[in-house]
Amino acid sequence: MVSLGSRTLTPGQAWRMEKTRLQELLDALRRQGYTVIGPRIRDGAIIYDEIQRLTDLPIGWTDEQEKGYYRLKRREDETFFGFAVGPHSWKQFLHPPIFSLGQARRNGQGFEWTPSTDPPPRYAFLGVRACELHAIAILDRVFMGGPYVDPVYRARREAIFLIAVQCTVAGGTCFCASMGTGPKAPPGADLVLTELPDVFIVEIGTERGAALLAEIPCTPATEADRSVVEARLEETARSMGRQLDATDLPALLYRNLEHPRWEEVAQRCLTCGNCTMVCPTCFCFTVEDVSDLAGAQAERVRRWDSCFTTAFTYTAGRPIRQSAKARYRQWLTHKLASWWDQFGTSGCVGCGRCITWCPVGIDLTEEVHAIRQTDSALTSERR
Amino acid sequence: MSKAEILEALRQHPFTHDMDEAWKESLAEIARLQTYVPDTLLLREGRAADAFFLIVDGLVAIEMFVPERGSLRLQTASAGEIVGWSWALPPYRWEFDARALVETTAVVLDAAQLRARMSQDCALAAWILSRLLTVVAGRLKATRLQLLDLYAPPPERRPA
Amino acid sequence: MISQATSSPVPNLFLPSPFQVTGVRRETSDTITLRLRPLDGEVFSFQPGQFNMLYLFGIGEVPISISGVHPRTHDLEHTVRAVGYVTRALARLRRGDVVGVRGPFGHGWPLEEVRGHSILILAGGIGLAPLRPALQYLLAHRPNYEQIVLLYGARTPADLLYQPELERWRGRLDLQVFVTVDRGDELWRGHIGVVTTLLPLVERFLDMRRAVVLMCGPEVMLRVAVRELEDRGVPAEQIFLSLERNMKCAVGFCGHCQFGPAFICRDGPVFPLPRVRSLLEIREL
Repeated sequence: MVSLGSRTLTPGQAWRMEKTRLQELLDALRRQGYTVIGPRIRDGAIIYDEIQRLTDLPIGWTDEQEKGYYRLKRREDETFFGFAVGPHSWKQFLHPPIFSLGQARRNGQGFEWTPSTDPPPRYAFLGVRACELHAIAILDRVFMGGPYVDPVYRARREAIFLIAVQCTVAGGTCFCASMGTGPKAPPGADLVLTELPDVFIVEIGTERGAALLAEIPCTPATEADRSVVEARLEETARSMGRQLDATDLPALLYRNLEHPRWEEVAQRCLTCGNCTMVCPTCFCFTVEDVSDLAGAQAERVRRWDSCFTTAFTYTAGRPIRQSAKARYRQWLTHKLASWWDQFGTSGCVGCGRCITWCPVGIDLTEEVHAIRQTDSALTSERR
Repeated sequence: MSKAEILEALRQHPFTHDMDEAWKESLAEIARLQTYVPDTLLLREGRAADAFFLIVDGLVAIEMFVPERGSLRLQTASAGEIVGWSWALPPYRWEFDARALVETTAVVLDAAQLRARMSQDCALAAWILSRLLTVVAGRLKATRLQLLDLYAPPPERRPA
Repeated sequence: MISQATSSPVPNLFLPSPFQVTGVRRETSDTITLRLRPLDGEVFSFQPGQFNMLYLFGIGEVPISISGVHPRTHDLEHTVRAVGYVTRALARLRRGDVVGVRGPFGHGWPLEEVRGHSILILAGGIGLAPLRPALQYLLAHRPNYEQIVLLYGARTPADLLYQPELERWRGRLDLQVFVTVDRGDELWRGHIGVVTTLLPLVERFLDMRRAVVLMCGPEVMLRVAVRELEDRGVPAEQIFLSLERNMKCAVGFCGHCQFGPAFICRDGPVFPLPRVRSLLEIREL
C-alpha cells in the first residue's frame, strides 16, 4: 500500500491514466535507474529495444500477420499499442543470445577462471502481452524451477520491472485464447495497462507497481471502466487469427510419433530454425570454448542454439536426428507434449510468431489439426 | 559311458530337457558321450554330416579354413548349446569346421538314425526341427549383430 | 529506493575446476584411462554411473563417465576413447598435465536400492567404463548381494578394457565373469559372438526373475538385450540402462541431451527400463 497525498494505492486497484502521462511513467522508471525496453519500429517490423520518449513507440501503427507474412500498416487512429507481437520476444533480455561465462588464463598450476561479473542491466519492460507474461513464467520454470538454477537468467530476471499491456487487437496468427494464455494478463506484472480510446486503465499488480504509479496523477477507474476492459478482452478473445484444439495434446502427439504428416511437413520445412529464434519459450543454447591464437587465454561463451541444426544431436560422430522430419517432430512434440512432462505446462503460449516468421508458412495449428483428424487412435489398423 | 549317463545328460541339456521321456530314451539309444581334447575337431567342412552335438561342457568354435590365413574362428557355442544342423538338411554335409577350444564333452547323436526316427515319428520331427529353427534363428540374429560391428570407432566428424 | 540488482559472478556451475593428471594407463590402441586429482585437494565424491564434463583449456569439453576410483589414492578415473577432436586431445595427456572437471552430474546406478538381489552386469565395448565403479562398489559391499555376474563383449581381444583387472575378477570366487569378442585373434580361445549370446550360459545358474540387470553399450545392443532379458523373465523394473546423448551444459538447461521428455544429463544417464522403453523404439528420437 502506498499513500501519496489523499490517495492510497494497493495491488488490485484500477486507475485511469491520461495517455500522455505514459511519458511520466517512463521518466519515473528511468529516474530509478531502469533502462526501459519497449516496442519500436525498425527494418519494417515492431521490435523490442530501448525507448525514452513516447514518440519512440509505434503509435498509430498496426501489423498484418499471416503464415510467412508480416507487414506494418498505418492505422486510422493514434492507438499506442494497436498491434500484436513482432519477431522479438523478451527472452533475449533474460536469456542473452550471446553471453561470456568467463575467461580462463593459464597459470603455473594449470588455469584459473575469471567469471564474468558485469552487473546485469536493470530493465523495465513496457508492453508485455499476456502471452509474453506466460512465456516469461515458463522460462522462470525452465531456468529456475529445477534442481539447478541458472545464475545468468536469475540475475537478469530478479531486476525486471514489468508493465503489461492487455491486447485489444488480436493478431492474424494469434491463438492465445486456445492456449489459455490471454488476452487477459496473468498475475506477475507490476502494472497492467489496457488501452481505451482516450485513456489507459492501469491495474496495479504489485507493491512495486503501486509505488511507481503513485508518482503519476491518476483518477480511480470506475466500474464502467472495468466493464469496458472486460468487454474489449472478450472481443479480442473472439477475434483470434487462429485456433488450436489443445485437448489431450500430449497424448495425441505421443501416440502419433510415426504419423505420415511428419514426413509431409519435412518436405516443406527448411530447418532454418526461425521458429526457435522467434519463439518466446525456446531456450536451447550451446556452450563454446574459444582461445586466442597464442593459447594463453580462453573464453567460455554460451550462445543460443536450435534443435533444427544437424550438429545439435551429434553423438559419436553423427547426428541422431538426421532427417528434417525428425528435427521438426522434435521441436513440435517438445513444445506441445514433452514440455508438460518436463515443466508442468505447455511450451506454447499461442503468440503465433512461428507461423508468421516461417519462410515457408508452416502453421503448427494446421499441423496439429491434420494429425488429430487422422489420429492413429481413430484408425483400426495399428501402426 | 552308460545309457543312464546319457539319459541324465539329455535330461539336463536345455535342448532336450523338456522332451517326452520316451523320446529321450529313444535318443539315448542312438547317442554316445564323447569328450574332445582341446584343439580337436568335432566336425570338418565337406565331410558327411553324420552327427548332432549337444554340448554338455566346454567351448566349441565354429571355424572356416582360409588359405594364407589359417582357421578363422567365427562364433563359439558353449555348454548347454548345440552344434551342427546340416545333418537335418540335404545334402547332409558340413559347411564349416567345429573345434573344441577347451576340453569339451558332448552328447553325440547318430544323425542317420535320428533322421530315420524322425521320418517315422512326425511329432518327434516337428519337435526337433522347431527347436533347431529356434537355435538357427538365434545364431543368425547374433551373426547379423556381429556384422554390424557395433563397437567400431565412429566415422570421422566433419568440423562443425 | 529500489536496491541495485546484485552482481554475482557466474559460479562453477559452468566453469570447470582444475584437476591434475596423476596417471595415464593405455587400455587399447585408441582408449586410455586417466587418473585425476583435484588441485585444491578437496575429496571428490560421486556415485557410480555419474559423469563429469572434462575440459581441455581452449579446446573444449566432453561428457565422460567416471570409470572408477583408485583404491588407495582415491584418485578419480576416466576412460576415454579417442574418437573426436576433444577426446583425441584428452588421450594425449601426460602425468602432470592439468584438465578441467565439472561435475559429477546425473543419476547413477541404484546400487543401494537393489541390495539382496543378484546383479547381472551387461557391458558392450566402452560401456564397461560406467559399470566399473558399480562393480567396484558391489564387490566392496559383497555380502549385500546374491550372485554377481559380469557379461562383457568387446570388438576384438585387443579392445578389451581393464585387462589386468578382468583377470583378477575372473579369479574371484564370488564373481562370475564371462567375456566375449565379436572377432577373435590367433591367440583367443574364449567366446566369440555378440554379448547377448552369453545369456544362455547365465540362465542356467541365475534366477532371472530375481536378477537386477545393469547395462551399458551401443543402443542397438541395449534394444536387443532388453528383448532377450525379458524373454528370459527379467522384470522390466529390474533392468537399468545408461544412455548417452550430445551434451553441452550437463545441468539440464541447454536442451541438447533431450531424449523424449528426459534430459539425459539430469534425469539419467541411468534410467530404469520402463521409463525409456517406448522411447528406444522410436527412430531418430
